[in-house]
Amino acid sequence: MKALEDEIKELIIESLMLEDVTPADIESDAALFVEGLGLDSIDALELAMALEERYGVEIGDDPERNQQIFASVRQLAAFVSENRP
Amino acid sequence: MTGPATFARFRELLDERATDESPVAFGRGGARTRRDLAADVSACAVRIAAGGAGRWLLCSDDSYAVATALLALARVGAVAVFPPNRQPETLRHLAAGAVGVLVDLPGAGPGPSGLETLAILGVPAAGAPAPNRFDREAAWVEFRTSGTTGDGRPVRKALRHLEDEVVALEERLGASCPPGLQVFSTASHQHIYGLLFRVLWPLAAGRAFQRETLLHTQELLPRIAASREASLVTTPAHLKRLAAHGGLRPLRRICRTVFSSGGPLDAETAKAVAEQLGAAPVEVFGSTETGGIAIRQRDRDGEAFRALPGVELARSEDGRLEVTSPFVSVGDALPDGRARMRSADRVELVPGGGFRLLGRADRVVKVGEKRLSLPEMERVLAGHPAVAEAALLVLDERVHAVVVPSLPGPPELEPEQRRSLRATLMAFLSGHFDPVLLPRAWRFVVALPRDAQDKIPHGALAALFADRRGRRRRPSAPRIVREGRRGDEWVRELDVPEDLAVLEGHFVERPLVPGVAQLDWVLDTAAASLGRPFRLIGIETLKFPEPLRPGRRVQVVVSFAQNPSRLRFQIRSDARIHAIGRARLGDAEPGARRGEPS
Repeated sequence: MKALEDEIKELIIESLMLEDVTPADIESDAALFVEGLGLDSIDALELAMALEERYGVEIGDDPERNQQIFASVRQLAAFVSENRP
Repeated sequence: MTGPATFARFRELLDERATDESPVAFGRGGARTRRDLAADVSACAVRIAAGGAGRWLLCSDDSYAVATALLALARVGAVAVFPPNRQPETLRHLAAGAVGVLVDLPGAGPGPSGLETLAILGVPAAGAPAPNRFDREAAWVEFRTSGTTGDGRPVRKALRHLEDEVVALEERLGASCPPGLQVFSTASHQHIYGLLFRVLWPLAAGRAFQRETLLHTQELLPRIAASREASLVTTPAHLKRLAAHGGLRPLRRICRTVFSSGGPLDAETAKAVAEQLGAAPVEVFGSTETGGIAIRQRDRDGEAFRALPGVELARSEDGRLEVTSPFVSVGDALPDGRARMRSADRVELVPGGGFRLLGRADRVVKVGEKRLSLPEMERVLAGHPAVAEAALLVLDERVHAVVVPSLPGPPELEPEQRRSLRATLMAFLSGHFDPVLLPRAWRFVVALPRDAQDKIPHGALAALFADRRGRRRRPSAPRIVREGRRGDEWVRELDVPEDLAVLEGHFVERPLVPGVAQLDWVLDTAAASLGRPFRLIGIETLKFPEPLRPGRRVQVVVSFAQNPSRLRFQIRSDARIHAIGRARLGDAEPGARRGEPS
């Protein structure tokens, strides 16, 4: 799981073109949006597209569930490992 | 009573005796009808009246709650203040002089300390109905124009400003939104565009609107797909991503109209939406102060915006757009209730009441629906002790910063210094600006690039971020401004974007459009002129006299003296010739796109 978390951190940095941020700077449990990494709604769309492209997972249509999934890198990794084809 | 939806003035929407079961809103909070709305407005008005008429902060993510609160405020003669964001500093600042805070439901979110918090929904009516103080002339809504924390200027709208605009929208666009259509939105109702398009206009026109704002494409699109007919109110940044990979195609027979406002929409996205849905988005041009000014649909209007009904346009001596309309709430008031305001947008008027945008006179930009004055952020940045000079620009809908540090020591920063300086400046700016406006990329340089007139050329700043290009979806082709026959020639006018795809890796420090790309534009134009594909047999002469830099407008001129196989061409801008030559063409092979070299 640690490896997948690191991979997702790389994906976040790459797809959102964050500069001067390394995977080590992103804590697996830290909030991705608003506080923490400070991502916004445009980033959320971009990141969802990147996850679908990279892992072939499908983001569902339930807003509450998606809010949980996108809460942190740890949640994202759990979602990807459960749902990748 | 159910029946065909009809247009209702806001005064009529306050009728407490409404028994109309036609839908007003739908979504996660539950469906609501005209009758529900009348009851909710009535109950809410009683409680607002008890708190006092005056300014109320409106903090709700539920568009139905916002509609309810606005009508209740109109009834008691009170004013809604929309905070530009929910940051505590902003709310504290706006709380001064406010009566209280309106939130969705009892117990929802704490307001700024010391202010009464009142739930818009979920509290049954108690006491006698509030007296009806509805007044079209009274102040109704207050917006803040800037994304800067605290000190954006307030812009007040009387009820008539918004009501008249809703009437104009229905007159111009109502036919494209049939009754029964459901309105979805990714634009916030905290800003004037969202408020009008997702709440007030649907409310008046009897179209049901979505209560919540869904963040993810994957949440939004299936819900639209499940409706019979829909419209989508969105912003360029969202639309660009919704339309990526043909994402809107499944909505072709469902989504009748897409509205886009809150920043310029790139031609590529407009085209993609037109391909996927069968019609280009309706782009709305306006501002908080002026309200709606004009609209365009690129597949019908080209680049020109057409004035909304009731809007009078002029061009000032210094080339800026002057708007006179009943929706303008700031500027010179005229005796007939209209007002006139000069915007900072440089324009060229076109016959028939429209204009083409030529750019801003004041470097005010919109990012994520927030307005930002780049000079203002530059001043704030330059006020930090670690900054000698700063210049900002917008690329890919994000602010980018170029900074000359005033740190002692060698001019080149070590990676660690760069990181910490960037973090320091981000933290510093976040005290003043909305998060979405903070620079997404930073470059630290020894000196800002300047031209002979001591101006900072946009292209040179953009070039500093060239390494980021090509990593994100973006416009890859020049935009066709206009084209047509002129005597023996066919002329196509192109706007060459700063971040043209073919520029990648091409002289990063001084971007030039490569010759092969210019030749490509020539062949495209030739095909348009001939009206058919062809095969390129050979180039007879070809010269590139003047280098072509991106960010310019150029003319691609092709002609065929007497012989359709003899192509003569030029690419020029002003008096400069960037490419000139002759080529021989043959008939296209079956299935050929055009101009594959033989």
